[in-house]
Amino acid sequence: MNAAISYAAIAAVALASALIGFYGLRVSRTTSDFYVASRTVRPWWNASAIGGEYLSAASFLGIAGLILTSGAGGLWFPIGYTAGYLMLLLFVAAPLRRSGAYTIPDFTEARLESRTARLVTSTLVIVIGWFYIVPQLQGAALAVRITTGLPSWAGSLAVAVIVAVVVAAGGMRSITFVQAFQFWLKLTAIAVPVIVLLILVGGVEPSLEAADAFPPTAGPGDLDPYRTVSLMVALLLGTLGLPHVLVRFYTNPDGDAARRTTVIVLVLLSVFYLFPTIFGLLGRAFAPDLVASGDADALVLVLPDRLLPGWGGDVLTALVIAGAFAAFLSTSSGLVVSLAGVISQDLLGGSVRGFRIAAVLSSFVPLIVALATESTGLAGSVGLVFAFTASTLCPMLLLGIWWRGLTPRGAVSGMLTGAVLSGAAILGGGAIAAAAPGIRPFLEQPAAWTVPLALLVTVLVSRVDRRRRPRGTDAFLARLHTPERVR
Amino acid sequence: MRVTAPSTGAAAASARPSTTGDAAKGSEPESVYVRSLIRSQLRLGITYAAGFVVATALFVLAIVLSPVLDASFVFGVPLSWLLLAVGVYPLAITVAVLYARAAARNEERYRALTEAE
Repeated sequence: MNAAISYAAIAAVALASALIGFYGLRVSRTTSDFYVASRTVRPWWNASAIGGEYLSAASFLGIAGLILTSGAGGLWFPIGYTAGYLMLLLFVAAPLRRSGAYTIPDFTEARLESRTARLVTSTLVIVIGWFYIVPQLQGAALAVRITTGLPSWAGSLAVAVIVAVVVAAGGMRSITFVQAFQFWLKLTAIAVPVIVLLILVGGVEPSLEAADAFPPTAGPGDLDPYRTVSLMVALLLGTLGLPHVLVRFYTNPDGDAARRTTVIVLVLLSVFYLFPTIFGLLGRAFAPDLVASGDADALVLVLPDRLLPGWGGDVLTALVIAGAFAAFLSTSSGLVVSLAGVISQDLLGGSVRGFRIAAVLSSFVPLIVALATESTGLAGSVGLVFAFTASTLCPMLLLGIWWRGLTPRGAVSGMLTGAVLSGAAILGGGAIAAAAPGIRPFLEQPAAWTVPLALLVTVLVSRVDRRRRPRGTDAFLARLHTPERVR
Repeated sequence: MRVTAPSTGAAAASARPSTTGDAAKGSEPESVYVRSLIRSQLRLGITYAAGFVVATALFVLAIVLSPVLDASFVFGVPLSWLLLAVGVYPLAITVAVLYARAAARNEERYRALTEAE
């Protein structure tokens, strides 16, 4: 593979992101511009930006890698990543837009009138965000190592620095432009190679016969019911609580626009996910050796060159590298924007300067974690972050929007229950499963039991604590659910 | 509505509507309408979510229970894999479009009721 082409592609994406970021800087002046783009973003722009922000290393590289290693089980990830937006549409999109809050902690405080509940939410948002950035940086490390031969840390460091600079300089309005641009870049970068490869593969001899590449034992029929259901609970409900996704809904002009935006996001994601899926299926027939070498997540980056050696392959490779970097940059910068918003409001007084300091901090803490740990499959690690989010923020959000009985104590107990249970399963699961192998699936995919338990604890504690129901509850719920023009 | 300064206090204050006191308790009929709007929106959301989950489960069950799909190849890929790879997305989009319309209709009904007052 031609390293010069890889360098050129990475540099071009970084430069384009920075330029659009600085162009945005000239039109973003007030603090409000900085945080939520003054709520004037049109549904199509906003939907592209949400797609741009959401499609991470896990989507661009991880899904194809997972289909290559584990077969049809990997097909469930893009389904869950997409259908999460359906749940967002059904239960969260319009009310959240109408809440008038900037971030999830703002929502918690306004709904529950409690500083403690706010602080717990903020802490969770920061933990979730940081752990979500780590796989992005690991994806960058893998991409740089595979395509240029540079050491892994160079890729992680480059992404962290670019994100810190662009976010600290431009704020969110510029990020809306950057994100929308990056969605279309990512779609082009994966669709064009797939189409070219599909035209080519008729003439290339596959490494494996169809029956061996797609054995029924790795097919849809070989379904583990518990793991599949638990993964779907995590992905469907985890999307509701992702901090960088939620903050984007505040930029819709009203609740109805928030719903229309979400429908467009669903369409955009459905189209996008066709392509990594096809990459994964092609990989099973043409590049099965990547599984043994442990670089399955690099499938999207190496397949074009394998099937089309020469300059044609080089061009396609440059395109997928650009798309992969767009994925790392856009997801990380979206997360850093929302984390910086939370940190600067809670700790640094909400000034523009505080936002900048927080942006730099939020880029470098995950970098340290990424450098200290090994990637164990990008789609899998992101899936675990979804499980944690679904067990912590999702019960509070759902009950906060739909149930007038929620109290601060109920919300805090539920969030802590979810955090402790799913956190213990994710971090300590390996050690516990070694002692009791029978419960391994329950620890590796915890969402199916941690989410219901967190919901149950939230409801029970709120019931006991009935008298501390916030006084503004009725007015706040009315605000969440009544259409704008009536007010 | 326009929010200008995103400090914690301001965001929380703006998020608490100016109606604290009046519309919440004041006009009884309006708060009855609001409660019924919330109930009907929640019922709508749960119905559509359940519809999506049941339809997806049936679709997957049909694939799992038809071994013939594992043996029929299209473009070198078993039909069962292809169906799972593309089948659920059109379903999700359909449910989303229908829900967005129904939710907007609920709000329109609420608007008509409150403006008729």
